[in-house]
Parts: sequence; structure tokens; C-alpha cells
Amino acid sequence: MMMKHVLGAAAALMLGGASFAYAEALKLEGGKSTDMVLLPKFLGILVFDQANEGAQEAHAELANPGKLEFTGPTPENSVAGQIEIMTTAATQKLGAVMLSNNAGDQIAPAAEAAQAAGTKVVTWDSPVPSGAGESVFVAQVDFGSIGVVMADMAHSILGGKGQMAVLSATPDAANQNAWIEAMKVALAADAKYADIELVDVVYGDDQAEVSYNRALALVDKYPDLGLIMSPTTVGIQASAKAMQDEGLCDKVKVSGLGLPSEMVSYTMNGCAPEFALWDFRDLGYLTYFTAYGLATGQLKGEVGESFTAGRMGDFTIEEDPSRAGSKRILMGPFTVYTKDNVEAAAK
Amino acid sequence: MGVFNRIGPQGLRILALLAVLGLIVAFFAVQIEGYLNGRLFNRISSSVAIMALIATGQTLVILTRNIDLSVGSVVGFSAFATGSLISNHPDLNPLLLLTYSALVGTGFGVVNGLMVAYARVPSIIVTLASMALFRSFLVEYSDAKSITSDSLPAWLVDFPNMPVFSVGAMEFRAGFVASLVVVVLVHLALTRLRPARQFFAVGSNPEAADMAGIDAKRVVFAAFVLSGLMAGLAGFMFLARFGNITVVAGLGFELKSVASSVVGGVNIFGGSGSVIGAFLGAIMVDLLETSLVRWAVVSEFWREAVLGALILAAVATDTVFSRKLVAMRVARAHKAALAEKGASK
Repeated sequence: MMMKHVLGAAAALMLGGASFAYAEALKLEGGKSTDMVLLPKFLGILVFDQANEGAQEAHAELANPGKLEFTGPTPENSVAGQIEIMTTAATQKLGAVMLSNNAGDQIAPAAEAAQAAGTKVVTWDSPVPSGAGESVFVAQVDFGSIGVVMADMAHSILGGKGQMAVLSATPDAANQNAWIEAMKVALAADAKYADIELVDVVYGDDQAEVSYNRALALVDKYPDLGLIMSPTTVGIQASAKAMQDEGLCDKVKVSGLGLPSEMVSYTMNGCAPEFALWDFRDLGYLTYFTAYGLATGQLKGEVGESFTAGRMGDFTIEEDPSRAGSKRILMGPFTVYTKDNVEAAAK
Repeated sequence: MGVFNRIGPQGLRILALLAVLGLIVAFFAVQIEGYLNGRLFNRISSSVAIMALIATGQTLVILTRNIDLSVGSVVGFSAFATGSLISNHPDLNPLLLLTYSALVGTGFGVVNGLMVAYARVPSIIVTLASMALFRSFLVEYSDAKSITSDSLPAWLVDFPNMPVFSVGAMEFRAGFVASLVVVVLVHLALTRLRPARQFFAVGSNPEAADMAGIDAKRVVFAAFVLSGLMAGLAGFMFLARFGNITVVAGLGFELKSVASSVVGGVNIFGGSGSVIGAFLGAIMVDLLETSLVRWAVVSEFWREAVLGALILAAVATDTVFSRKLVAMRVARAHKAALAEKGASK
């Protein structure tokens, strides 16, 4: 049994409950044929493969006779490759493209062209910042609640008092920036965080060696640093490794968003006592249901529409509070891992 | 005066580089509190161990008027393949594992070398293609799994940070020392061994080299094979140091290695340069990067631009320095000759 210590995203549950009052959740009719593409930031990363597993599960469950393809660019060609695949999608008469966007607003013209050709664009994991060319964003968790969870982890690790710094991915990663912003808001909102000081935000480019060196530079720059908060799976692992290698784990802890399989040893030895993540299989599964509903015309993609996503229950399309004029579907909740549950999850 | 005259132009270049390095350290020591200590040395030396190997291979290629853009992908692939092998066979002999990593890199180097030297495709095109190709192999081979440090044996993970000896608070760690040994060996070979001098001959004047009976194709081929070998060794070091290997491992190393070589005085048009220079170039790039993160004056968004500007400034200063030194030496030699003439009259 997995002993999960689940933090509820209260807002998600309330919204989910509220939707029953207004509209009956639509049960999507299976068996309709539509070809779809699942487009990750790039290939070869575990979490994206997990999302694909979830999407394939939904594909089988809905008995779609069409094709579900998992294609993406190679790591060194991510931005240009995503735009290219999106551009090609418009000419292939695809039902939908499910995109974890790594190209910022540069993808918008290609996404708009795809929409004009009748291809729905459903984003997941990372949205189009402006929302242009996007039908709906399947948000893993409420961006605001990520901020609160990161602030809470910092509070618990630092014992309510101390300096922390953020190690992010790249300065233009839309989801990272939104989460860091949300954490700043959360820190300012409650008096219990008053003694936690956020001293710096640095970027490790989502590469092990850059993140590793940045983490050490932070320690050198701030001698009183107590915590490195890294909301990226590459950054958190590299930081934990750096602290362990230099024997700094007693002084500087690491937290953020990480994969249990990569973090288990650091959680058990105390370098990274707490971190969080959501389930990427579920995210892929929900994204597929959303895209299938839109591509087969059963969903119109309007605010207030509710539908049932198989085993995961009912979801409603709503205004995205962090991007005015855009729509989202909120998945949530996510799991906080500690030494009590990380070993089971890492298997 | 005798010593000064005996140092060749490459030696002067290295002196100039050391002077610029000293200036950079002095500048940041004034700007950043608690900058100058043993920890700074430990940070830079551990970090530069990997790039030093890659830049050494890159230098050999650039000497022959070529470029190798695939090194980052080769580092990534050999790190992953080596990690995968040791995870499945944890009791494998360390030397066998190192050999495996070197062979994987060499294999990729052979592919590049054959295409450039014998199929006569320009190296920038061959290696641009193989950079993407080798990276795609890695994506395919990895099956979206990661190598994690807890699947690696303790000897491998502990190796790079194992102190070999210390001078005060400065630790010379095994990873750095191993790299340094490789760099010095290659440097000695290039300056002392006749066959190794052919890299310079082919790069500075291919026609003349041909007339002198040097097989230019074989030399270019050898440069790419050695570059692959170095990238393979760097992959081993990368695995040992970071432990966690995904498909992005080594991304961007190709340009950083070219930057290190060029900053270190290797002529991008071939024919001149030294691996010691490239090694110092790698240290300089790393030092600037680390120091800029700690320098409060520059914001995150300007850091890349400032880094670029500082690299340019460093190259310019060091070029001026070494010209000055060469001019000084010529002037002294001239004076000495005049004096001798006067004496003999």
C-alpha cells in the first residue's frame, strides 16, 4: 500500500463540487475516430513518458479507432521542433494536438494556424502564456496552491525562520515563473512566514551541471542560507547532490518539485526532507479525455462545461485565474513526499 | 633575459592568460566579500575537470582547421551508456568501465572522422548533423529512463571528490587531478612527439604538409577519434560527478568547449594553439560564470550578456598582452644582436 500524504487543493474540490449544482457532467461517448498527437517539451524525459502512458490508457478506454501518436523534438531542438510539429499538425487534419509548451508565445502563430485548420490545441503541464491559439489548458494543480505548498515546505524545513533561495529552470519558463510568483504572494500573505527571507532567484537552465554549480554559488553568496527551493525536477536533484557532495546537508536543505525515484536517497539521508509532485499519468489521462471531447465535438470548450474523465471523476472548464481570458481545467491534488512515503513511491 | 627569450610564442600566450586570470580574480576579490578562499579553488577545479577534457579534444580538432560540434551529445551518450552498464553489473572492474566509456566516445569519433577526412564533407556540417543524430540515439537508447546516483557503486560517486592532496584549504580532488594529468600528457605529446606535431603541420599549411609526406586525411581522422575519446572520458567524469543522467546531459558543451579553446588562444583557423591554453580558457569561462552569479551588481537577465562581453574583453586583453610580450622579446633580441655586432667590430 502506498501511504500517501495527500494535500488537498481545496479550491479544486470546491469547484468540482460546485459544478454538480449547475450542470450535469457530460459522459463522453467512446468509439469515435480522431487522430491525435501528444507533444511533450522534448523526448526522453520520464515524466513525459508517464503522461503518455496515461494518455494511452485513456485512448484504449475510449476505444478511439484513430491514432494516438507520441512525438516530440529532441532535447537540443526543443523550441524549433515544437513549432515545426505544430505547423505540420495543421496540414495533417489531426483532431487535436496535446502540447506541453516549451516555446513560450512563439508557438502561438502555429497553434492559431492549427486551430484555423480545425485542429484543437489542448495544453498540459505548461500553457501558452498569452493563451493565443490554445483551446484549453489542463493545469496539473492550481498555480496559486503550488505557491502555498512551497511556502509551507519552506516553513516546516526552516522551522519558521531563515533564508531561502530559489533555483529555477530558465528565466522564460512560464510555469516556473508563475509558481515562484505564487510563492512570493503566499509568503507575503501570512504572518507565519514573516521570518522567512527569500534572498535570490537563480536559473540552472534545467541542466544538471549548470544547476549544480548555481546551487554551490548560492551557498557561497549567502553564508546564512538555510534552504534551496527548486521547483524543477532537474534543479532539485542537482542541488541535493551538490549539498551532499560538499557535506553541506546539515546546514542547507533542499526542497521543491521532484521525482520520488530520483530523490529517494536524498530524502532518506535528510538532504531533501520534503518535496512535492503530481501524478503525470493522471495528467496525461485527463488531457486525453479533454482533447478527445473537443476533437469529436462533444465538448465546445466553453467556460462552465462539465464532463466525466473516466476513473478520475468530473471536471469543469473554467476561467484561468493566472491568465486573463484563457480557459483551464484543474486537475490537482498533489503529493508531498517525506521519508515516510518516498520509498514506496520510488518503486 | 635568457629564460624570457627561450619561451616560445605559445608560452607567452599562456603567461598572458595567467595574467588575465589574475586580473579577474583580483577584480572579483575586491567586489565580492569572502571571495578569495580555498572554497573558490575547490568549486572551480571540480567543475572544470569535465570541460578540460572536452576542450582538449576540441583543441586537437580545431588545430587541423576543423570543428567538432557533436562533443556534447557524445558526452551525454557515453555518460548514460556507462551508467547503464554499471547499474546492471555493479561489480564491474573500474578500469573496464572507464575503457567502455572511452570506447563509446571513440566509436562516435570514428564516425565523425570517416565522414570528414575520407568522405570530405565539411566538419561543421558533419558534426552539426551528428550532434542531433547522437542525441537522438541517446533519446532512443534511454527509453526515457534516468540513471540515478543511488544505482551507481560508491567508488564511482566518491571518486571525483576524493581529496588527493591539499594545500591549505585548497583541495586537489581526484577528478581534477585526473583531468590535469590527461591535459599535461596531451600537451607533452603535442610539443615533444614527432607524429603529434603533424596536427600543427596540417592545420597551418595543408599543401606544405602534403608535400612533406604527411597523410593529412589520417591526421584529421585521428583528431576526430581523439576528440571522441576525450568526450567519452568526459562522459565518465560527468556520470561520476552528477550521478543523475537524463537525455539532456552534456547539452551545450560543444559551444562551451569551442569558447574555452578560443579564449585559451587556439586559433579558430587552425595551426596554432595549445591544450594548456584551452585548459586555462576553460578555467576562465568557469570562473567568470561562477563569479557573476555571486556578483550582486549584475541581474540574472544581464548575466549571459555580461559573460559574453567579459569573454570578449578577456580575449582582447590577452591578445594585446601576448603581442606586447612578443614585441618586447623581438626588441630585446634586436638589441642583443646590435650589441653583439658592436662587440665584434
